[in-house]
Amino acid sequence: MIDLRLKGVSKSYGKNTVVKSLDMKIASGELIALLGPSGCGKTTILKIIAGLQQPDEGTVFFGSQVMNSVPAEKREAVMVFQNYLLFPFMTVEENIAFGLKMRRTDKAVIKERVNEILALIRMEGMGRRKPSELSGGQKQRVALARALVLRPQLLLLDEPLSNLDAHLRDEMRELILRVHREFQVTTVFVTHDQEEAVLLADRIALIFEGNLHQFAPVRDFYERPQSERVASFFGNSNFLKGFCSGQAVETELGAFKTPLTGENESGRTVSLMIRPEHIIPGKGEDNSFLCPIRSKIYMGSFIRYRIEVGEGLWDVIDGPEARKGYEEGESAWFTFPPHMIWLV
Amino acid sequence: MNRNTAAWLLTAPALIPVLILFFGGFGLGILQSFSFFPLIGLDTPNFSAYTEVLAEDELLLSLVLTLLVSLSATFLTIALAVTAALALRSAERGRRGILFLFQFPITVPHVIIALGALLLLSQSGFAARLTAFFGIISDSTDFPVLVNDRLGLGIIYVYLWKQIPFIGIIALSVLQSMGNDYEELARSLGAKQSQVLFHVILPLMRPALLPGSVLCFAFTFGSYEVPFLLGRSYPSMLPVLVYRYFTNFNLVQRPLAMALAVLITLFLLVTVILYKKFLGGRNRL
Ligand SMILES: Nc1ncnc2c1ncn2[C@@H]1O[C@H](COP(=O)(O)OP(=O)(O)OP(=O)(O)O)[C@@H](O)[C@H]1O
Ligand SMILES: [Mg+2]
Repeated sequence: MIDLRLKGVSKSYGKNTVVKSLDMKIASGELIALLGPSGCGKTTILKIIAGLQQPDEGTVFFGSQVMNSVPAEKREAVMVFQNYLLFPFMTVEENIAFGLKMRRTDKAVIKERVNEILALIRMEGMGRRKPSELSGGQKQRVALARALVLRPQLLLLDEPLSNLDAHLRDEMRELILRVHREFQVTTVFVTHDQEEAVLLADRIALIFEGNLHQFAPVRDFYERPQSERVASFFGNSNFLKGFCSGQAVETELGAFKTPLTGENESGRTVSLMIRPEHIIPGKGEDNSFLCPIRSKIYMGSFIRYRIEVGEGLWDVIDGPEARKGYEEGESAWFTFPPHMIWLV
Repeated sequence: MNRNTAAWLLTAPALIPVLILFFGGFGLGILQSFSFFPLIGLDTPNFSAYTEVLAEDELLLSLVLTLLVSLSATFLTIALAVTAALALRSAERGRRGILFLFQFPITVPHVIIALGALLLLSQSGFAARLTAFFGIISDSTDFPVLVNDRLGLGIIYVYLWKQIPFIGIIALSVLQSMGNDYEELARSLGAKQSQVLFHVILPLMRPALLPGSVLCFAFTFGSYEVPFLLGRSYPSMLPVLVYRYFTNFNLVQRPLAMALAVLITLFLLVTVILYKKFLGGRNRL
């Protein structure tokens, strides 16, 4: 397998710059999510890697080899498109065999590999069907199989789950993980759904408007987001503006202790952030404040409070074990543990 | 009144004359083909017109020529139209102009084009005189025989002129609605440009092009004005043969015309049915 590197890759359509000086290094065998809202340039990046679009600037490396002038059909990278695109005039078998046939692979070998892959996607016995006779989930699996049968060095999946309903999505996710484990193929997949990225990827590349905002292991996006925007995309809504003052952040609510700042940073303005599930109802040693409770919603396995923190509203998630009998309308103590606080 | 009935009532004024003309005329024609023509005293239906037509020496030659002309006109149309559409698709500049040129022939009647071809391509025509004038050929009779020729080249030329834009526009719109996705996908799966064309693009266009090609074939097989103007008198193409029988001052030949017309219609009907049966149902998108 190969590792993949993008260096200063940019791409514009007319005046619209879709990918902006992108640097990325993906190790061999990694499973990477390209995450971002619709229209942020995810498909374009995938196509640049696949060789279907030429970057205006920058270099694409597979290992140490510069790929810019290598045409798509000669790259060991196969892309699976957003909308299956099965060839309607071919059977499932013929669709899967397409790439091998183009490479003039021996007929017996093709047959063997196609059957192997049909078993992998649990579609034995459906090889003779036409795409019009398949369900959405089956089509998606055939589209994946058509790429896998080529045993590519690099697998590029464009929104492999987005056309599927919840149940099929789980199945497909399983399949992608299984395939990744079995073939150890370097995989880049595109999604606009952060949950999907979290469930599947080793690392996530978060992209807004063609800019890479953070490229890090999944946990970091929850615990160490690089900006308020990244944090919000991952469902963090608890922010409070302040400035550093010694080992604390001064805010309108008071001083929050945190180990993340020191004397030399005093005066720097920051956004203080903490995840809803890290806030503890009740009074503790440090960082406890009395906050009015705006609402309380019972969510089954947990309770969600919405509390007033200075000018803003914060979410607090209270797990079943720590359930306090707080009610809507009252003011109550909440503790914001110093080691759970993150500054952006 | 439900929508269906309303739709029928609204189309009736347009539909009824068509039905009367078509089935009425066709019905009379069929009667006449069985030599039932009371006007000139033929009042016992029989097969004599059919046997006489089928025994005609010219018929076989005529059939071969007709097939030759309509099949080659159809194949060339498809090949050239698809080529043009592929070229137009990737052309960025001058595209509008070319598209206009492309659409222009569709509005010009066949007869006009046939007459134009006659003026341009016959041995006393413009092209012959021009090439003779510039000394490319020594005499205008050295100009290749392109109209009223043995192989129907002039006829094929006119049909191509008329049909390439028609099929070309269909092909272009199919290509455009197809987008680049299939092509990109195929390349990503390792197909070279030529493989993309033959294994992906052409098969994807097939369902749209087949009906068009059947239409071209049926039209070139069954229409008479172009071969009448640009064909030879012997053997002439089948529709011209019908026309000759029909316009013969001897009304006794009228059943022959009708019998041959019925045979042509049957042939085309069978062709279309076979097409539907073997090609039409498959390859739906
Ligand atoms: N061929 C093209 N010509 C012009 N603009 C294009 C082209 N392809 C994409 N764009 C534009 O580039 C931007 C990024 O497109 P891209 O398809 O990469 O987005 P995406 O992140 O994959 O979006 P989605 O999640 O909706 O698929 C969009 O604004 C789109 O309109
Ligand atoms: Mg996309």
